[in-house]
Amino acid sequence: MVFLFQGKRSVEYLAFILLTIYPLTLNFFFGYFSMIFAFMLSFFSWDILTPMKFVGLGNYARMVQKLVVGFQAFLSDPRLAYLKAPFFNGLKNILLYTALVVPAQTLLALILAVLASRAPRGSYAFRVIFFLPATTCPVIVSLIFIWLFMRDGFINYFVSYLTGGFRPDWLNDPVFLLPAIALVAIWGTSAHFSVTFIAGLQALPKEVYEAAKIDGAGPVQRFRHITIPLLKPLITYVVVLGTIGALQMFDLAWVMAGQSGGAGGAGYTIALDIYNTAFVQLQYGYAAAKAVLLFSIVFTLNYYVQEKLKQPWVR
Amino acid sequence: MAEKPKRTTLVVLGVIAILVIVVAAAFMLLRPSAPAAPPTATVIRFAGWSAGETEMKNYQKLIEEFQKANPGIIVKYEVITQMFSENILASYAAGAAPDIFYLDSAWAPVFIERGAVYPIGDKLPKEFIDQFYPFLLEPFKGRDGKLYGIPKDWSVLSLFYNKKLFAQAGVPEPTEAWTWEDLFNAAQRIHQRTGKPGLVIHAELNRWLPYLLSNGAPSPSFYSAADAAYFDNPAVRNSLTRFIEMFQRGRKEGWIVTPADINAGWSGEAFGKQLAAMTIEGSWLIPYLSDQFPDFKYGSDWDIALLPKGSAGRATMAYTVALGVNPKTENLDAVLKFLQYVQGIEGQRLIVVQMGHTLPSIKALATDPGLWPSHRKELDMVGKYDKVQVFFYGAKTGELEGAIAQVLGAAVKGEIAASDAVSLMKDKVKQSFGG
Repeated sequence: MVFLFQGKRSVEYLAFILLTIYPLTLNFFFGYFSMIFAFMLSFFSWDILTPMKFVGLGNYARMVQKLVVGFQAFLSDPRLAYLKAPFFNGLKNILLYTALVVPAQTLLALILAVLASRAPRGSYAFRVIFFLPATTCPVIVSLIFIWLFMRDGFINYFVSYLTGGFRPDWLNDPVFLLPAIALVAIWGTSAHFSVTFIAGLQALPKEVYEAAKIDGAGPVQRFRHITIPLLKPLITYVVVLGTIGALQMFDLAWVMAGQSGGAGGAGYTIALDIYNTAFVQLQYGYAAAKAVLLFSIVFTLNYYVQEKLKQPWVR
Repeated sequence: MAEKPKRTTLVVLGVIAILVIVVAAAFMLLRPSAPAAPPTATVIRFAGWSAGETEMKNYQKLIEEFQKANPGIIVKYEVITQMFSENILASYAAGAAPDIFYLDSAWAPVFIERGAVYPIGDKLPKEFIDQFYPFLLEPFKGRDGKLYGIPKDWSVLSLFYNKKLFAQAGVPEPTEAWTWEDLFNAAQRIHQRTGKPGLVIHAELNRWLPYLLSNGAPSPSFYSAADAAYFDNPAVRNSLTRFIEMFQRGRKEGWIVTPADINAGWSGEAFGKQLAAMTIEGSWLIPYLSDQFPDFKYGSDWDIALLPKGSAGRATMAYTVALGVNPKTENLDAVLKFLQYVQGIEGQRLIVVQMGHTLPSIKALATDPGLWPSHRKELDMVGKYDKVQVFFYGAKTGELEGAIAQVLGAAVKGEIAASDAVSLMKDKVKQSFGG
């Protein structure tokens, strides 16, 4: 190994190796190796305890069949589709959840960032306060919100006051369960993404704003025509990361809705279904095929989002 | 320019070399290893979940005593706190499964049918096996008739009732003569007179089975898609339909509820908070009430009674966990010696009887003076049941219990009609076997 560290740049090479060895090891085993293994596993039937059996595209054919059955069940009676086709239900729920969470968390993060970067006095305290949710474990957050979302809980105290007595049963009503989980996710992730936006806002050129002010642009116009277009790369980054996180959501659903997805299966996600297929039904190959489908959805959706955000916003 | 690729190659080679060394070192360090032992000692790994710190301490104490009595054997006790069976499966995949481990009755068929547990019945003395309640051995028998696990303890479903709410409503307490109709009538009257639900019960097949079995339904046994025909049996179909329709009506009127209906996580919590007058729960509720609701006392505030009779007799459910042995263990003799020590009379007296979490699986301990009075009462009642069904429906018990509970949950809420629920349950069984 000594020959590696001879020469004038040896210290840099050593530093490079030492700094990259840990993430590379983790990435190799928990990233690439797992990914390749899961992809290969999707062509096998395996229950861990007995040897693997090659089934070709059997798992994929079965998955497509289940999706078709689920779609038909959804068309015939949407309320009962979750009982007849849990996988389809998980897919439907997670797409709906992503549609609820990603735009809301991105917008909220942006608004929080603008507020934090504008408030001169106490802005540091403000940043700390709204970054706190990002530092809390999602499971703990979920447990606290279960308590807050109870029928006679804290949230319904305000909802009831504002709506003249309406008290939704957030966790036991299929209509409200998914929005409740989405609200917790938005609350927990917006703070994290707002820090990204704050960093971006601080790097924006002040001259552009000053010129806009001189030209008579108000705060809303400046936000719409300067801040948003200039932050476009960061918005793309936040939307992509948010979409990946939302599509893979597991922890909040597990804690707030349970393994079966709670009331009306409204909290059932594709990640929960993959878990149940693998660890409850012991069909690891089939679960891997579902994971490959989830990866394809994440990849395609993010490609679409990135392409869409490349288009000019300012005309 | 010529140096660049050379340096890059060297750096890449260096990274790979260090990566290999780090990974190899990590594997060496993280590989499950036995504690330091004399060269002649046999080390066995024993894995279980935790039922609290007291149980873990008692196990440690028992292990120390066992090691003193058997100087050549060292037992490494591994506590897996979450998702126990999943962890054990993963350890099989990694080739690092423990020598002896807890084997839940619901998971037993999974392990037995795949040859992942040793047929210990072939090796244990007959007089040792004969000490146990015979019905508790059933889930651990393979289709070859061999015995693959010995139950370490068990729990039984009983009717728990709040004496104060019964008195307040002026309703006589449950008796041995009670039928299911008596229970439902009492629940209605208590609700009318106290405003509290008379009965809180989970919408789960295992909690409803006593009703089904006592009304003539056979025991569920699902090993193939064809076994879904269980739900076509008139006794099953009729009793399930009756129970669902009664639940739907009772839930609307407020006298029968699920725990979620009254903001409780489970029936035991609802009963402990005195939100409902009765519940059908297992023996695990007894230590829970004692720990969480110390002012709500057995005997004066609450009591247990037999589950009611149906048209075909009286039935209840039993839940048990066995100790199973890894067929690849290299120390079978030591493992069997340890198993007999832990599950023998002295072991169960310390771990089961004194702790009061569950019931002893050895018949002779039913009269042990150390038994909690509530547990003694439950054991006295066991003989009065015509059928004690162990929580075990065949090859996919755990999976099917979850799937059926989802259908029952929708049914009691009135989302689906009782007849549709029965058909859906049949479909669930078929689907789980690829039908």
